[in-house]
Amino acid sequence: MIVAKNIKRCYGTGETAVKALKGVSFKIDKGEFVAIMGASGSGKTTLLRILALLDDATDGEYTIRGLEVSSLPEAERSYYRLTQVGYVFQDYALINEMSAAENVYVLSMMEGKSKKESYKTALEALDKVGLKGKHDRVPDELSGGEKQRVAIARAIAKKPDIMFADEPCANLDTNNSKQVLDVFKELNEKYGQTIVMVTHEPWHVEYVNRVITLEDGNIISDDRKLKEKGSTELSSQNSNH
Amino acid sequence: MINDIRVGALIAYSSVKRGNKKTLVFIVFVLSLIFLNLVFLPSMIGGLSGLFTGFMQDYPYGDIVIEPMGDNSYINNADNVLKKVRAVEGVRAATKRLDVGASINHKQKVVGVTITGMLPIEEYDISRYPHIITEGDFLTDLSRDEIIIGAMIAGTGFGSEIYDNLGQVRPGALVEVTYSNGVKRTYKVKGIMEGTFEVVDLNALVHYKEIEDVYGLQGREATTVVVRVDKQGTEAHIQEKIRDAGVNEPIYTWADKSESLIRQAMQSMGAIDIMSKIVSLIVGAALVLIIIYINVLNRKKEIGILKAVGITPRSIVLSYAFLSTFYVSLGIFAGLILYFSLMFYFQANPVTFYETMEISPVIDPVLLIQSIVTMLTLSVIAGILPAWSVSRESILKAIWGR
Ligand SMILES: Nc1ncnc2c1ncn2[C@@H]1O[C@H](COP(=O)(O)OP(=O)(O)O)[C@@H](O)[C@H]1O
Ligand SMILES: [Mg+2]
Repeated sequence: MIVAKNIKRCYGTGETAVKALKGVSFKIDKGEFVAIMGASGSGKTTLLRILALLDDATDGEYTIRGLEVSSLPEAERSYYRLTQVGYVFQDYALINEMSAAENVYVLSMMEGKSKKESYKTALEALDKVGLKGKHDRVPDELSGGEKQRVAIARAIAKKPDIMFADEPCANLDTNNSKQVLDVFKELNEKYGQTIVMVTHEPWHVEYVNRVITLEDGNIISDDRKLKEKGSTELSSQNSNH
Repeated sequence: MINDIRVGALIAYSSVKRGNKKTLVFIVFVLSLIFLNLVFLPSMIGGLSGLFTGFMQDYPYGDIVIEPMGDNSYINNADNVLKKVRAVEGVRAATKRLDVGASINHKQKVVGVTITGMLPIEEYDISRYPHIITEGDFLTDLSRDEIIIGAMIAGTGFGSEIYDNLGQVRPGALVEVTYSNGVKRTYKVKGIMEGTFEVVDLNALVHYKEIEDVYGLQGREATTVVVRVDKQGTEAHIQEKIRDAGVNEPIYTWADKSESLIRQAMQSMGAIDIMSKIVSLIVGAALVLIIIYINVLNRKKEIGILKAVGITPRSIVLSYAFLSTFYVSLGIFAGLILYFSLMFYFQANPVTFYETMEISPVIDPVLLIQSIVTMLTLSVIAGILPAWSVSRESILKAIWGR
């Protein structure tokens, strides 16, 4: 579904230039739940932003469902972000003046759905992430975990092809982290949602079925876990696709 | 586009509904002052022009004025005209005057003036000249070698610093007048008049018969016939009736007259007015711009997020257009309340200038509508600009600052 070929990203120019990605290639199939791991500064966020069309690669090719998206004009990228891509930020990135429901349904309205339909979609999405009965609350009235779940609801309400999350649990305690990860797992297992999540917590690995590890802007490992339940054994290292 | 409008409205609505109310009140307060600034001075100037109109009625023109036909220097059968005018119903009084150019000489000082020859007794019913004598007395029917001098040329009144004057002339002093035809006469100053109005205070008055003598007229000529009516507001009607009575000379109401005069006299005022309006508008637009800009900067991250999740830049810009329209509408509303309270106050307690000039402001609906429209337009533009510039920034920059 996603094919990235030789993606490079360089920040700045000249002597101070930082090569954040040095040419990474991989393929992600529909229904996968991928973790991108690696030390701080290894290029995880950079990669995710490029995949989610929030940033441009300096070089390389990137296709979603066969469509070369890296070269789309901004208006189309914007439409792609709206309709095909869900993105969950580390710090929730909710609109503080909007209620949980408004935060979610503003996107449906942008897509051109009626207010009623949009509201219905939003409530469904909020129910899916376990926020039934809290849709009228503003972000300030929600816990960190709940806020992140609103952000997830916002990302999934449009039923995106793929959902990205950049360290979604970084600001959450273990308990709230588990809630969020459970939601991801359920979305992935029950609805077949493709998810790419950046994390550096080793224990998150048990929720995902593939781990891509970055180091200094290169992929150093790409592990598909065995599908059998309860297994913690990792499959032998796959070569990059 | 419809989607953009709906989303823009939703964003604006939630930001007003859940935004900081104190900030809202402050913004609206500042905007109301900007609006007040826009309409208050012009209203005062409007009051000033009303005051000038009053002067025109009280001194040179009365309620209705009749002037010489075509290129004639005089109304040649002024007594005939007066007879016809006085017979018209609704006319309270009428008189004739002779305005001539002259220079007045006193102890080596010379000042050019207009001298008006008038019938002193009749003036009591026509003008306020008899009531503005600050020193000495007004003319009488026997005043043949006497003159009344305006305070500005006498050098005693307000404005003496600006204009040439005779240097502290007092009643009893002798002055020499040289008329435009070269005839010289010496007069004793009978009184000083002060109307705090240049047309009056730069003038001098003598008896009608004096001018007649000097210019060799036959007792029937006048440069103006000045008419007062019984009831204010009937001028136009009586103007018609005078015409119907067979007066062929041009007849003007004070409104006709002041319209052209105010247009001239107020031109300098008008320039000040326009300048002050432009300055107010620039200051106003700048303030709206700053307010919205700060607002936009504070919400830069939010704008980035909105863009990141797929909200179009156009909706974002629209939301700010809605927001600033909302702020400004509230500001105008509050400004109108302030404005009318002030108008009410100043109409009850007029501002006094130079001790006698009372100015009470005039409410001009056209001005109000003009100001409202300009302010709305300007502020919508001022509101959109910063949002537009931020919404064009890259998402990364807006959200993460780099
Ligand atoms: N906007 C930027 N400008 C310059 N350098 C950046 C920028 N963003 C990230 N970097 C640099 O790129 C490298 C990778 O950063 P990032 O992708 O954020 O890493 P990670 O998310 O794995 O911690 C780091 O060295 C970081 O300092
Ligand atoms: Mg990161």
